[in-house]
Amino acid sequence: MEKMGFGTVTSTSKTMKIIDTEKKISVLIVEDDLLIQKIHKAMMTKFGTEVQLAANGKEAVDLFLSGAYFDLILTDLEMPIMDGIEATKQLRSMGVTSMIVGVTSRNQDSEIQAFMNAGLNACYVKPLNAEKVTVVLNELKNI
Amino acid sequence: MDVGQLQRQFIDYTASLFREGFLDDQFTQLRKLQDENNPDFVFEVVSLFFDDSEKLVNNMAKALEQPIVEFEQVDAHVHQFKGSSSSIGAHRVKNVCAAFRGFCEQQNSDGLEQQIIAAGGSIPMVE
Repeated sequence: MEKMGFGTVTSTSKTMKIIDTEKKISVLIVEDDLLIQKIHKAMMTKFGTEVQLAANGKEAVDLFLSGAYFDLILTDLEMPIMDGIEATKQLRSMGVTSMIVGVTSRNQDSEIQAFMNAGLNACYVKPLNAEKVTVVLNELKNI
Repeated sequence: MDVGQLQRQFIDYTASLFREGFLDDQFTQLRKLQDENNPDFVFEVVSLFFDDSEKLVNNMAKALEQPIVEFEQVDAHVHQFKGSSSSIGAHRVKNVCAAFRGFCEQQNSDGLEQQIIAAGGSIPMVE
């Protein structure tokens, strides 16, 4: 399965806010692999977004606990300390309504479904490319 | 050899890498990310990939040299290698990793050795 599209989310995560079209979209990339961090950051920056990095799920959760906000969270699944499933569950239980998109090397249906069930808006199999980013950003602008 | 000739050689060489399946579209995408704001991007990511690859292959080799091979450990390294090779567009490496994982699942050391040799590597002889 290549991806799981937008639409059905099991937790209450529908964003209801107006995105200021003049302000840059803020993105949090949650990824432990430095090479993938670099590639995904360059890709999202090229699309005109403001990017911050977190090396694992706990760093992502701590950022939100400290009051940070991001329009979009792109998260890996397998990370040390706290993985993508746990981080997504915690963020949703904290009331985070930002779009959360999983980007994982795992490609088994069951693994992707488990990740989606944690509260993702969508999930893609790596690698992230221009086509996938375009779909995500269009979806974000349409909310 | 003049600059024009070198440039043509470089273009031809790069084209052959795509033709022979060493590189795929993902690498083309990465090249597009290089610009005046990020002038050394391709060099930086390729260098990172080579460093990572060396570490991962060394880890795989160590795990395979153990008297009792822990295939789950080998598989974890291969999984990471597959992820990074697919993200950089190293098409053949990605495919070899996929085949490797199949052998790990079967806990098939002979199959793994054949893959290593087929990919151009060698198996160190254990005394």
